[in-house]
Amino acid sequence: MGNDVLPKEVIQQFSDNLISKKREGKNFGDVMVVGGGVSGIQASLDLATAGFKVYLVEKGPSIGGHMAQLDKTFPTNDCSM
Amino acid sequence: MCSGRVDLEFILRAFSNGQDGVFIGGCKLDECNYVTHGNYDALANTYLAKRILAHIGLDPGRLRTEFMSGADGNLLADYTDDFSKQVKKLGPLGKTEGMDGKQVKFRLDAARKLIPYLRLVERERLRVPVKTKQAYTQFFESEEIHRLFDAIFGDRLAISQIMMLLGETPLPTSEIAQQLGLNPSAVSRHMMASSRHGLVRYDTASKCYTLA
Amino acid sequence: MEGTLGDFRVSLKTRPRYIIEDKCTGCTTCVTYCPVQYPDAFNQEISDNKAVHVFFSQAIPLVAYIDDSCLKLKENKCDICSGVCQTGAIDFRQTVQKTDINVGAIILSSGITPFDPSVKDEYGYKRMKNVVTSMDYERLLSSTGPFEGQVLRSSDKARPKKIAWIQCVGSRRVTPGDNSYCSGVCCTYTQKQVILTKHHYEDAECTIFHNDIRSFGKDFERYFQRAEALPGVEFIRSYASVEREIPDSGNVVVRYATTDAGVKSQEFDMVVLSVGLNPPKAYKEISQIFGIALNSHGFCQTESTNPIQTNRPGIFVSGAFQGPTDIPESVFTASGASSQIGELLDYRRGKLARERIYPMERDVSGEVPRIGVFVCHCGANISSVVNVPSTVDYVRTLPNVVYAKEQIFSCATNSAKEITDLAKQKGLNRVVIAACSPRTLEPLFRDTLREAGLNQYYLDMANIREQCSWVHAKQKDEATQKAKDIVRMSVARASFLEPLLEFDLPVNKAALVVGGGIAGMTCALSIAGQGHEVHLVEKAKDLGGMARRIHSTLEGLDVQTYLDNLIQQVYRNPLIHVSHEAAIKRVEGYLGNFTTTIETEGRVKQIQHGASVLAIGADVYTPTEYLYGENERVFTHIDLGQQLALGNQTILGAESLVMIQCVGCRNEDNNYCSRVCCGHAVKNSLKLKEKNPDMRIYILFRDMRTYGFREDAYRQAAELGVQFIRYTPEDPPVAQAVTEGGREMIRVVVADPILGQRLELDADILSLAAAVIPSASVHEIAAHFKVTLSPDNFFKEAHVKLKPVEFATDGVFLCGTAHYPKHIPESINQAYGAAGRVLTLLSRDTVVASGSVARVTENDCVSCGACITACTYDAIEFYDTPKGKKARVNPILCKGDGLCNAKCPTNAIILKHFTDDALLHQIDAAITKEVRTNEYRS
Repeated sequence: MGNDVLPKEVIQQFSDNLISKKREGKNFGDVMVVGGGVSGIQASLDLATAGFKVYLVEKGPSIGGHMAQLDKTFPTNDCSM
Repeated sequence: MCSGRVDLEFILRAFSNGQDGVFIGGCKLDECNYVTHGNYDALANTYLAKRILAHIGLDPGRLRTEFMSGADGNLLADYTDDFSKQVKKLGPLGKTEGMDGKQVKFRLDAARKLIPYLRLVERERLRVPVKTKQAYTQFFESEEIHRLFDAIFGDRLAISQIMMLLGETPLPTSEIAQQLGLNPSAVSRHMMASSRHGLVRYDTASKCYTLA
Repeated sequence: MEGTLGDFRVSLKTRPRYIIEDKCTGCTTCVTYCPVQYPDAFNQEISDNKAVHVFFSQAIPLVAYIDDSCLKLKENKCDICSGVCQTGAIDFRQTVQKTDINVGAIILSSGITPFDPSVKDEYGYKRMKNVVTSMDYERLLSSTGPFEGQVLRSSDKARPKKIAWIQCVGSRRVTPGDNSYCSGVCCTYTQKQVILTKHHYEDAECTIFHNDIRSFGKDFERYFQRAEALPGVEFIRSYASVEREIPDSGNVVVRYATTDAGVKSQEFDMVVLSVGLNPPKAYKEISQIFGIALNSHGFCQTESTNPIQTNRPGIFVSGAFQGPTDIPESVFTASGASSQIGELLDYRRGKLARERIYPMERDVSGEVPRIGVFVCHCGANISSVVNVPSTVDYVRTLPNVVYAKEQIFSCATNSAKEITDLAKQKGLNRVVIAACSPRTLEPLFRDTLREAGLNQYYLDMANIREQCSWVHAKQKDEATQKAKDIVRMSVARASFLEPLLEFDLPVNKAALVVGGGIAGMTCALSIAGQGHEVHLVEKAKDLGGMARRIHSTLEGLDVQTYLDNLIQQVYRNPLIHVSHEAAIKRVEGYLGNFTTTIETEGRVKQIQHGASVLAIGADVYTPTEYLYGENERVFTHIDLGQQLALGNQTILGAESLVMIQCVGCRNEDNNYCSRVCCGHAVKNSLKLKEKNPDMRIYILFRDMRTYGFREDAYRQAAELGVQFIRYTPEDPPVAQAVTEGGREMIRVVVADPILGQRLELDADILSLAAAVIPSASVHEIAAHFKVTLSPDNFFKEAHVKLKPVEFATDGVFLCGTAHYPKHIPESINQAYGAAGRVLTLLSRDTVVASGSVARVTENDCVSCGACITACTYDAIEFYDTPKGKKARVNPILCKGDGLCNAKCPTNAIILKHFTDDALLHQIDAAITKEVRTNEYRS
C-alpha cells in the first residue's frame, strides 16, 4: 500500500490545520466538511489551499472512508491508500 | 528523472565496477505521463550499450531493459527473477566470455572514454525518426546499423585502448598488438594516424610509441 | 445545527478515544498486550483486533483508540494498556466532548454504506461462511487484510479455487429491502477483483453471474475486455441465486439459468456478492439536522442544473451522497463544492488561514557531509523480513554516517519530530530515510528537513519496503543484505546532494476557458464568481455547444431555457470576456503565466492567464450504418429529441419506432461506450409514450446502461410497454427500406435471444444511438497546450481517480465531454470541479517551482545543440555570450527529466539533484570492495 498521490498532501495539510486550529483557540472557521472519505478530504484540501479554514468532521477513528478499505483501484491497480 | 536519463556511462560504469548484470526499468512505451517519451531514449541507449558490450566481447544478455507501469510490481518482480536467473547462468562477468577481470575493466574503461563521441554520433547517425517500438527494433537490429556502428566504433575503441596502454608505459607496435589481441598492421595504421593527429609520438631510440 | 449561510452554528459531540492523541506514538505496544479479541471492523470483521488498536496501519491520525469491548470500560477490570504505554497516552477519564463550531458554509460528504445482504435471507450472507461481500473480498485481497493478502476462506482457511461473483446484489431490484437503482460501480469493481484474483492465483477459476455489463465509464470497456480475455474467467449472463451450502466442504451451490442451457446449479469454493451502494446509514439524521431534502432513495435531493447544491443555501453535497458514484466523481464534486463555497465566501478568503512558517535554513554547503540514517520498521511491513537492528548497526559503519536509528513508523508525526530534533542535536546535514518508495512520502520528509532548518534536497529515501521486504518475504537473510546494500547506495548518493532553491513564480490571476458549452460556461462563471477574470474562447459563432441540440434530460430539465439563462449570465458578467469564432494560434508560458494567442472574428489577440481550462466538448458520430443519410425515416437520437421538441407529427404519429443502440462505438474503431445513449433512448421513448401511448417502441441494445437513478426510468419505460431486445455485435440488426401496402417503412431484422428466432420489426421511424466521438480539434488543442490523450482520443487526466480534472501538464485543467461522454448534470459537476481546482492555483499569489532542474556549465558548452533537441518542453535556448552561443535553461519550463544530461557530449548540462557525481557514486556503492576483491578480481 501507499503509492498514491493523496496521502502526502493529506498528512501535510492536516498537520497544518491541526496547528492552525490550536493557534486560533476559538471554534470559528469558514467551512465544515462532514465526512472524511475521499470526497471530504478532497474538499477540505481544496478549500484550505484556496484560503479557507476548514473543520473536517469524521465519525470514525480515522479519515479515509470506504476507499481506504479498497485493495486497489481501477484501472492501474494503484493501491487506494 | 526519466529512464532516458540513464546514461551509457552509468551502464558501463556498473559493468566496469564488476557487476554481472544491469537492469533498467522504465515507464511503458507510449504511455509517458508527460510529453517527452524519454523512455525511447532509454531503449536506444540499451541497444547502443548492448552493441558496445558485444564489441568488447561481453555477452549483451547481461544488460536488460523492461518497460512497465508503476502498478506493475508483479511484472517487475517477474522480470527481475528472470533476469537474475539469466545472469546467474552467464556466471561472473568475463568468465563465460573468457576474459579476466582486469581485461574486462580495461576494455570497458576504453569504451567509456568514447561516450562523448558516441553521443555526437548518436545524434547524427543513430537516431530513429519514428518513436515506435517496431521502428526502434528494426533500426537497431538491422545489419546496416550493425555495420555502421562497427565502422565508427571499432577503430575508435582500438585507439582508445592503445592510448590507455601508452598512458601506463611506452610500447612498440608489436607489443601493443599482442596485448590488445589486434592485428599488427591495424595497430601500425592506428599509430600512424594518431601520430599525424599529434596524439602520440614515436621514439626512434627505444622504438616505442609514447603519448604526445 | 442552526443558522444560515455565512453563519452556521454546529454542535459536535466527539466520542472519547481514551487515548491522548498528542502522546500516542502509534507504537501498538498496548495492542500487543490487550487481552480482548474483538472483530476488526476495518477488516470487515473477518479477522480479530484488540479492544485497543489503531484503526488501520496508515490511519490518520495514526494513534490508537479504545472501543466498547474494553474490559476496563465494561467491567472496570484490566488496566494493562495503561501499564505498558511508555508515553502515558492512555486516559480512561476522557468523556464525550461537546464543541460548538461556527462556520460560513457546510459540505456534506457523508458517502455511502455498502448494501448489507444479511437483511435478506436469500443471499445466504452470514448464514454461509463462504459467502462474502465484495467489500469483504477487497479486504481479503489486501496485503493489510485479514490474511495479509492471501485470499482464504474463513471456514477452513483454505484457498478458494473456484470463485463466483453475483452481480446486482441489492441493486436493480424492486423487492423490499433492495434498491431499485443501479449502483453503477459494481460491474467494474468486480472486473478489477477478478483481474487481481488472477494476479494472485493464476489457477483461480472465476465465474461472474451478471445482468447487463455496465462498462459506461472512461476506459471501462477495455477493462472489461481485459478481464473477459483472462483464461479461467467466465462471464455468464444470468440471474443467479445462492441455493445452499454443502455441509462438509462448506462449498456454496449457485443456481442460475441461461437461454441455451436452462436452469443449472454449480458448486463454488467461495461466492462474492457484488453489493451495491446504499445512502449513508445516518441519512435521516443528516437530513433532519441539516434541514436538507432527500430523494426517494435516501440520497440528497438536488437539481440537475447544480447537483452540488442542496435545497438549503450554504449547504452543499459532494461525493456519493449525491447518488451512487465512483471515486473520480467523488473527487471532482468535492472540488466543485469548494468552488461554490468560494463564490459565496470569497469576502472572507485568507482571513483565518495561516501560512506555515519554517525555521531559517542553515548553510551547510561548506561542511563535510554528516549523514543521519533512519531505518523504518513500517510496523511489521519491513521489520518482519529485514533485520532492522542489524541494518542500523551496519549503517553506522558507512562513510559520513554520524548517526543511525530505527523507527517504528518514520512517517508518524512523532517520528518526524524526532528526526527534526535529532538533526539539530547531532548536527546532521544530510538525512537518509530507509523506508518505503519516495513516491508517497518524500514530500513529508522534505518537510521534516525544512523543520530542522535544512535544505529539503538534502534528503534521500532508500526504498527497503516495496523493493525489498515486500518482495523477499521468504528470504530474510538475503533481504537484510539487500536492505544494507540499498541503504549504502543511498548514503553514497546523499554525500553528493546539493542544496537547491525552489523559487516562487508569480501567478497571473486570470483564467482561459476554451469551449463555450455548458461545461466551459459553468466553469467560467464559477471562476469569475470568485473575482477572477475569465477569457472564454468559443470556436463557433454562438455559445452553447452540443447542448444547443438537446432539449430535455431524463430528470426533466428544460435544457434550452437553462442554456439561454446560462448564456445571459456569461454575457452579463463583467469579468468574463467572450471571444467568438476563435481559434487558438499559439500557447506559450507555463503554470501561472501563460500567453495564448487567438484569432477571433478576424483579429489576432493575446491573452495573459495563469490557468487554462480545456472544455472543448465532443462531436456526434455521423452513422454510415442503417440507411442513415439515405432514408428520411432514419434519425439519430439527438435528431429525434430535436424533432420531438419541435412537435414533428410524422414522428409523434408513428405506429412503430425502432431504436438501435451502440452505433459507431463499442467496436474496433471506437472501443468505448458513449455512456449517454441508453439514457437518451429511454428518455425519448418515455416522451414518445407520453405523447402517443399506443406507439410500438423497440429498443435494440447490447447492454442497457442506465446506471444510477436512470434505472428507474428504464423500468418505467419497460412498464409502459417499450420492448427491449438484446442483440450481439456478431449478429447485429439489419435495416432495409421496404414499401408494403403503400406504407413506406424500415424493416429491421434482429435475432431475439429469448425466443431464439428472427424478428422482423416494421418501423415508421428508425433512431440510432450515434456515438459521442472526440472533438475534431482535440489533437490540435492537445498539441497547443502540451497535454496528452487517452487511447480513445479523449483528454487524458493526470490521474484517473485522484486528479480527474487536471492534466499532467501543470496549470491546465479539463472538464465536460472532452474528457469523456457524459450527461449534462455530470458535466456541470465536473465543470465546478475544474473551477475548484483552478481556484487552488489562482487564489495564490505565487507557485513554487522545483529545484531539480537542469543547469549549464557555460565553459563546457560547445554549442552543439544536443540538449535543445532533446528537450520537449522548449526549456533550453541558445543565447549570445562573449564566447559565442551557449545553451541556457529556463528553470520554469524544465521538468527535470534529465534527457539533455544524457545527450550532452561534454557533460556541460547537468540535472540538479540527479547529477552524474551523485548517481555514479550510488552506482559504485552498489558493489562493495569486499565483493569486488573476492569475486571479481580473482
